[in-house]
Amino acid sequence: MLNLNRRQAISLFGATAGGLVLPGYLRAQGARPSVTVAVQKITINNTLDPWREQSNVGERVLYPNLWEGLILRDWMGDQGPVPGLATEWHRIDDKTLELKLRKGVKFHNGDEMTAEDVAFSFSPERVFGDTQPAGGQTIYSENYTPETAKDIPASLPGVGRRKWPALAGVEIVDRYTVRFHNATPDVTMEGRLYAGGSQILNRRAWDEAATYNEWATRPITTGPYFVEDHRPDVSLTYRAFDDYWGGRPPLERITFVEVPEVSSRVNGLLSGEYDFACDLPPDQIGGVMNAPGFEVQSSTIWNHRVSCFNTEHPVLADPLVRRAMTHSIDRDAIVAALWGGMTKVPAGLQFESFRSSDMFIEGWTAPEYNPELARGLLKQANYKGDPIPFRLLNNYYINQVSNGQIMVEMWKQVGLNVEIEMKENWGQILDASTTRGIRDWSASNTINDPITPMVVQFGPNGSIQQYKEWTNVELNELSQVMETSTDHAKRKKAIARMLEIAEREDPAYQMLHQNAVFTGMRSELNWKAAPAFAMDFRGPNWATNDG
Amino acid sequence: MIRFVSIRLLRAAITVLAVMTFAFVVLRLSGDPAAVLLGPDVPKDVVDAFRAEWHLDEPIWRQYLAYIEAIFSGDFGQSMRDRSPALELVLERVPATLMLTVPALLLKIGLGIPAGIYAALHRDSALDRGVILLAILGFTIPSFVMGLVLVLIFAVTWNLLPSGGFGGWQHAILPALTMSIGGIGILARFSRSAMIEVMGQPYIRTASAKGVKWRDVVRGHALPNAAIPIVTIVGFMVGALIAGAVVVETIFSWPGIGRLLIVSVSNRDLAVVQCILLLIAAVMVVSNLTVDLLYGWLDPRLRAGAAH
Repeated sequence: MLNLNRRQAISLFGATAGGLVLPGYLRAQGARPSVTVAVQKITINNTLDPWREQSNVGERVLYPNLWEGLILRDWMGDQGPVPGLATEWHRIDDKTLELKLRKGVKFHNGDEMTAEDVAFSFSPERVFGDTQPAGGQTIYSENYTPETAKDIPASLPGVGRRKWPALAGVEIVDRYTVRFHNATPDVTMEGRLYAGGSQILNRRAWDEAATYNEWATRPITTGPYFVEDHRPDVSLTYRAFDDYWGGRPPLERITFVEVPEVSSRVNGLLSGEYDFACDLPPDQIGGVMNAPGFEVQSSTIWNHRVSCFNTEHPVLADPLVRRAMTHSIDRDAIVAALWGGMTKVPAGLQFESFRSSDMFIEGWTAPEYNPELARGLLKQANYKGDPIPFRLLNNYYINQVSNGQIMVEMWKQVGLNVEIEMKENWGQILDASTTRGIRDWSASNTINDPITPMVVQFGPNGSIQQYKEWTNVELNELSQVMETSTDHAKRKKAIARMLEIAEREDPAYQMLHQNAVFTGMRSELNWKAAPAFAMDFRGPNWATNDG
Repeated sequence: MIRFVSIRLLRAAITVLAVMTFAFVVLRLSGDPAAVLLGPDVPKDVVDAFRAEWHLDEPIWRQYLAYIEAIFSGDFGQSMRDRSPALELVLERVPATLMLTVPALLLKIGLGIPAGIYAALHRDSALDRGVILLAILGFTIPSFVMGLVLVLIFAVTWNLLPSGGFGGWQHAILPALTMSIGGIGILARFSRSAMIEVMGQPYIRTASAKGVKWRDVVRGHALPNAAIPIVTIVGFMVGALIAGAVVVETIFSWPGIGRLLIVSVSNRDLAVVQCILLLIAAVMVVSNLTVDLLYGWLDPRLRAGAAH
């Protein structure tokens, strides 16, 4: 077989080095290395605005390399809060949080970050539009009237209010002190500060941009890397920001390249085109692991796969049938067969992060796999084999179709007649003009409190209730407790009861498994994947690499 | 001749309008862009705000009239994903697609037609059978398989060429080759059968019997008469210059029109999809019109027919 490496081949053909040898070329300069990361999708909305790009793929490119908040998420640790652009914070009362800003933090345009940038980052002009906080009125803001291309997209205020339902305003106490005022008591204000969206932008850059889109494709932030080049749907290149408050970034450039086909990502990794290949399905792991010099980093992430029930369907209106469905699924078998055991069945809609706030309900589990119990429940419900539609997307989630087919067979074993209906997009999944039955979803935990995802996704303002798929009066009352009570014991009791309602008594969803991500990479890079979509390319996670 | 051209121009305009209308209606019936673009986690009020912003809450006929009016005033709309002008987004992808499709077309014509003619002139020889075998293999192997095989050989195993992405000319070699192989096979087969049919005609026999040199018989009598079916196929290929790279651009992560179309369709980015389809329809219509005119030039009988 012809044994010719790329450099020799290029010399042979008298070609210029070009893009083929770019990463290696940069490394050879004795400067910092650069990396190329192949991803399935760079962003969903083609912007780098964290309020607009609330997706999993967006998390990968936005944090922690570009955007930073006052409080940061400990990406490489327990995902809890750590000081970021604020060095300390304390409660004035149960509705007010005061934060001291880190001094000397520079934006990519050289401006120093001040309280004014923080207040603007949570202003009506930036995110909330003309919406008002739950239980109060907006304070510390000028009147907002969106009218031009500079204005935020119409959907942004709604997203902002989902994350900050009762934020009344941010008060500038002095140049380096701010106070967050909530209209209602809220124990999760600190947590909301490190969720996606609550990051700090440079006001001058916002003001100078001609349009919202111009700003959103190249935002000026405080992160360790700045946007050097952004070609939507094609590539995104970050360059080191040497004035970064956290020290000189270890990489010269990070280039995210959009490679939709998984085989192309794997081939590109093995041929040296890319340093990382993200979003590998479990069946591709062996191929990469067996190639010398390559490895796959796997990590479970804070996202659980669930299937949701639509109680407008005449059969699913009966909770006995839904309960039967939850007890028909052998989740461990699915994890073993489709995931090679590389993820796990969680303790219901709970995450390990809940432990850091002492909100984890010990002893709670996903529904037991018990076909006999399921058959008994169906008999009790007098189920006659009426078909139940199961709307399915073509692998929007990893292994989604295979998982769906296995579940249908498991349901069949206990006598349930579930029919798969393949759909093309979320619009068709949620379409209410024909009878809906079951659909897939995932539930994310973004702060170390069970308010995400239980209240955010399944509570009265969660989309499952807004799309009239399911509702429960008691759960809605308990959501109110979770959102406004500052009594820890009362909140813990509330979430325990909410789990009972949503997973046992009146199932809103059935838990499947925790999600996981798999990243192929060159072993020599000695980089570690976070238990998240985010890829940490800051100093501590690259300390042992000199390029 | 004026009437011949006028009728075809009118047909072309009607075709483009039909494509525009069809695309407009089908796209709006096949899923709500708000739900697609915003995802499943977004509350209904956010979706409603999005729909109002893009006038998706209005009756479809009103949306259609506004669309047609805008098109005639040169406004092709904005992308719902990032609010960029749709036409700008589409036109900036055209050069990348042409970087693949033009070399691929030249390869198809440069290799496929000579191979087919050669095979026809050496009918039933080993070379003829070899050409036929390769041609069948070429157009029966799907491009996504061919592309991956080429990547495996030239990028992964031999490390000679990039496996994908957009960069220097080296990046275009494998995708252009992948795109051309099927077309080479098709043109070889068509050229061969067209030539075989022509070579059996009495006027070829007559020319040979009159002592005309074999080379002149082929060049002067056979090739022009065999050209019409070949021109038809090449016309389709030229028409597909803009649209023909969807699969290959996806496999090779090539940022052309095909990738943009896939992304825009899956996101129901209505203005962008409509703009791409309009462009594809226009190129196809112009290509067909050119082929029609070429028929007249190649075959005087058609010209005469049109004149009557």
